[in-house]
Amino acid sequence: MSSAVGSRASLIPAKAGIGLRFQHHHAVVEMRPDIAWMEVHTENYMGGGPPLRCLDAIRRDVPIALHGVGLSLGSTQGLDPAHLDRIRQVADRIEPGLMSEHVAWSVVDGHYLPDLLPLPMTEEALDVVCRHVDQMQSYLNRRILVENPSTYVTFRHSTIPEWEFMAVVAARTGCGLLCDVNNIFVSAQNHGWDASAYLAGLPAPAIGEIHLAGHAVRHLADGGTLRIDDHGSAVVPEVWAFYQEALARFGLVPTLIEWDNNIPPLDVLLAEARRATGFMAIAEREGARADAA
Amino acid sequence: MPTLLELQRAMRSGIVEHDSAAVAGALATGVRPDRLDIYRNTIFSGLTRALQLSFPATQRLVGGEFFAGAADAFIREYLPRTAYLDQYGGEFPDFLSGFPPATSLPYLADIARLEWAVNHALHAPDEMPLDLARLAALAPDVQGRVTFRAHPSVVTLQSNFPVDEIWRAVLDADDRALAAADLAAGSVFLLIERDPTGVEVTRLNEAEWRFLHALCRGEPLFCAVDSATDIDPAGQLAEHLAAGRFVAFASDTNEAVASPEAV
Repeated sequence: MSSAVGSRASLIPAKAGIGLRFQHHHAVVEMRPDIAWMEVHTENYMGGGPPLRCLDAIRRDVPIALHGVGLSLGSTQGLDPAHLDRIRQVADRIEPGLMSEHVAWSVVDGHYLPDLLPLPMTEEALDVVCRHVDQMQSYLNRRILVENPSTYVTFRHSTIPEWEFMAVVAARTGCGLLCDVNNIFVSAQNHGWDASAYLAGLPAPAIGEIHLAGHAVRHLADGGTLRIDDHGSAVVPEVWAFYQEALARFGLVPTLIEWDNNIPPLDVLLAEARRATGFMAIAEREGARADAA
Repeated sequence: MPTLLELQRAMRSGIVEHDSAAVAGALATGVRPDRLDIYRNTIFSGLTRALQLSFPATQRLVGGEFFAGAADAFIREYLPRTAYLDQYGGEFPDFLSGFPPATSLPYLADIARLEWAVNHALHAPDEMPLDLARLAALAPDVQGRVTFRAHPSVVTLQSNFPVDEIWRAVLDADDRALAAADLAAGSVFLLIERDPTGVEVTRLNEAEWRFLHALCRGEPLFCAVDSATDIDPAGQLAEHLAAGRFVAFASDTNEAVASPEAV
């Protein structure tokens, strides 16, 4: 695959955006909030009727990124061609600035388990994911981004550090990476990884987008804690700090606030986006100072 | 070392059957198998929520706890076959009709069928109505043999119970209307469709319904007319066409179904 970014991809600016969910359709159409871009889940717009018409209307004013959650790039038995085609139909209609999917799996033997399930970090899984990223990019005739997962289990037979897995997928397929800094933080805490080393292991030029979200902390019976990536609250201070580290490493990248459970009023999402904008301004000044030195 | 397919099958069992023994051996040292419960919770709560959104009146009729139990049993038996989850739950009405704890509400499965029709209409793709000028241009002797393709949102539904009344009363939390619904009043004949303002559920008389139902099933116009006594088929057809209920037609001399592009 060519690593060239399609002209439409440039529509998503290196600014802060928000994840758009149905609850806010009406508010966005009415208020026309000042936001640089928005991202939606591709699977939410595969039918007709009011939701798609609403997104059409929003799309006239705001660039839209399509974030897929159901293609299951990590399934061994191949991609569902009908689902790939539905994705293309949404893309043809919306003309998104960016399209992305996950390094995860959801489908086995034709059963779809609606979650982003963890892959073992093996050569076999790497081959499967790369083959499917190639297929998706060919079918859509554009470059995509793939997102690093948040995970709660790891596997005995994993041989490749996750950051290296992500880097190899980008190198082999020419795809970009969607760096979810909350996911890195959650997984690093859950598995005892060094989050900074994870960032350092990712190829900076491939980073096309950053995700930020809230997560929950669950206290376990054995006295330990587990971080759950539930997108159900504000971004926590440690993740904001880690975001600054990512900006310092990758430069300014389109950054998205995701919030999928206990969805707050639109104003709260916009305030989170302004916070990201503030950190981007700081990173830009510090970058300029570093360049001048 | 399991292959990726073996691992994925073991994880499905661990998550769906709540049996993590198969996957425990593949987990890294120190990772407790009950961590799969996090995935199980996400998957089952997500699918239960999808069913709650599609079957709100069904849920209110049986109560939240009963519904959650039925949903859990349904999910284990009918995992989604596609990642397009708006299509998930089509088998739920039939499942309910065979679900022993639900037999005390004889109309429950039909309420669920009505709700599934509403859900189907809500998410159906947009399509343009057929080209009336091309239909009108057919020779009169050909017109009788015309068959139609219905708009994807159109559903015709018949029930032995006044499910439309019950459904509205339940969603409006109108206990008086619910009590007034006469279960012995006979069959109802319903048209469910999406118009620009939302999904409409309309009660037709039996003859009107049989005429529309025959056309939606792709029967030629003259057959549908034969099945519709005591109505004005020309007037009915004109109404359906004006409402955009048909998106394409075919006739003996026009085998390729004349269909505009989906929008």
